[in-house]
Amino acid sequence: MNLGYQLDPAYVVRHLGELGDGLAWTLVLTTIGLCGGIIAGLALGAVRAYRLPVFSNLVAAFVELIRNTPLFVQIFFLYFGLPKIGMRASAFEVACASLIIWGAAYNAENYRAALLAVPYQYEEAGRALGLGEMRTFWSIRLPIAIRFAMPSVTNISVETLKNSALMLAISFPELTDTAINLVAVSFRVFELFIVIGITYLVLAASLTQLMRSVEHRLAWPA
Amino acid sequence: MGWETPVALYMMRGLVTTLELTLICSVASLIGGTILGVAFIGEAPALVAVVRLYVEIWRGLPLIVILFFVFFALPVFDVKFSAFWAAAVGLSLWGSAVTAENVRGAVQSIPKAQREGARALGLSWPAMMWLVVLPQAVRRLLPPTLNMLTSLIHGTSLSAQLGVLELLESGRRSIQRLLLDVGNSHSLEIFGAILLIYFVICYPLTSLSRSLERRLSV
Repeated sequence: MNLGYQLDPAYVVRHLGELGDGLAWTLVLTTIGLCGGIIAGLALGAVRAYRLPVFSNLVAAFVELIRNTPLFVQIFFLYFGLPKIGMRASAFEVACASLIIWGAAYNAENYRAALLAVPYQYEEAGRALGLGEMRTFWSIRLPIAIRFAMPSVTNISVETLKNSALMLAISFPELTDTAINLVAVSFRVFELFIVIGITYLVLAASLTQLMRSVEHRLAWPA
Repeated sequence: MGWETPVALYMMRGLVTTLELTLICSVASLIGGTILGVAFIGEAPALVAVVRLYVEIWRGLPLIVILFFVFFALPVFDVKFSAFWAAAVGLSLWGSAVTAENVRGAVQSIPKAQREGARALGLSWPAMMWLVVLPQAVRRLLPPTLNMLTSLIHGTSLSAQLGVLELLESGRRSIQRLLLDVGNSHSLEIFGAILLIYFVICYPLTSLSRSLERRLSV
């Protein structure tokens, strides 16, 4: 190393308060993006799986648009572009909206595939028992599809956590934005990045474990 | 003259930078990732552990954190890098880790009997890999590799945050310039155009990936 760069681990300790606030915002954004993305994705996936006329095509176009453009640019579009047509939103609202939209587009594909993977005999059995079309969907097809989709939904949830770091683009004070601002005034690069790097790795591992335990809890005995 | 022509010409140069960055990272990720991937499925436990650590770290971190780390940390080691090369290194670290994991997944999906058969015929480990396992794994490797390349193209937009004058940054600078010069930033049109350009580049890749995936699953 040059310039006599000296590690100062105490620096991070002195700024734990700010970093803790950033971590809290990261968790808030992840939770909102994860839940919103799953619920909206499920609805869009069902529209696709049942090929509802017109809506199905609109959803397909939406999914392609989101999946083929960078989330980073989507955030700029929402935050700086949309106010031009009178849709002004705070950084927090844009952060939540962009994570939910992104998660919905990716989960829509997961849930569409999962709904289509449910064997049609199950549906026939439900109808044969006298259940209506809606009841068959809610009580038979949907519960099975949700379980089929769990592994892919877990991956998307971890991506949502990592994507929350992009909100530094609109200066939303989540963990990465907080660390970058501290780097800008102190140049304590190593200390800060090692700490937030380990934090992200631990969060991602914990989230994966959490989703796996949900998956296990939901699993039916074979 | 309207504002569109000068902005379009300026952003064209940004697009070229985006494509250059994409090309460099793609080549580095594919070559580096394949080498790491082969080591990952090898029979040297120490090497496997090192590659696993590499893969878990670079695949597990947010890409923007990797880019900032490379950008800020390398100068401390007296490695002078431009923002462009810091972004290229950061994206390649991520891309090679993802590729290594994809290679491992594809090779493990080849039935074990294929490897045992090759060894029984007296092929060495490299010969077995090169002649028997990898040719079969490549087919399964194509869809995830196309997805990785799409993510890399998306990822190049993050280099704007380091100040690399690529497509997104050229758009942002045009917006600032327009705001000062004519008082109207035209941000809706410019960010919309950037989204459209990324869409035109990425849509063929994701469609190809999907059709290959469908063909493999039959």
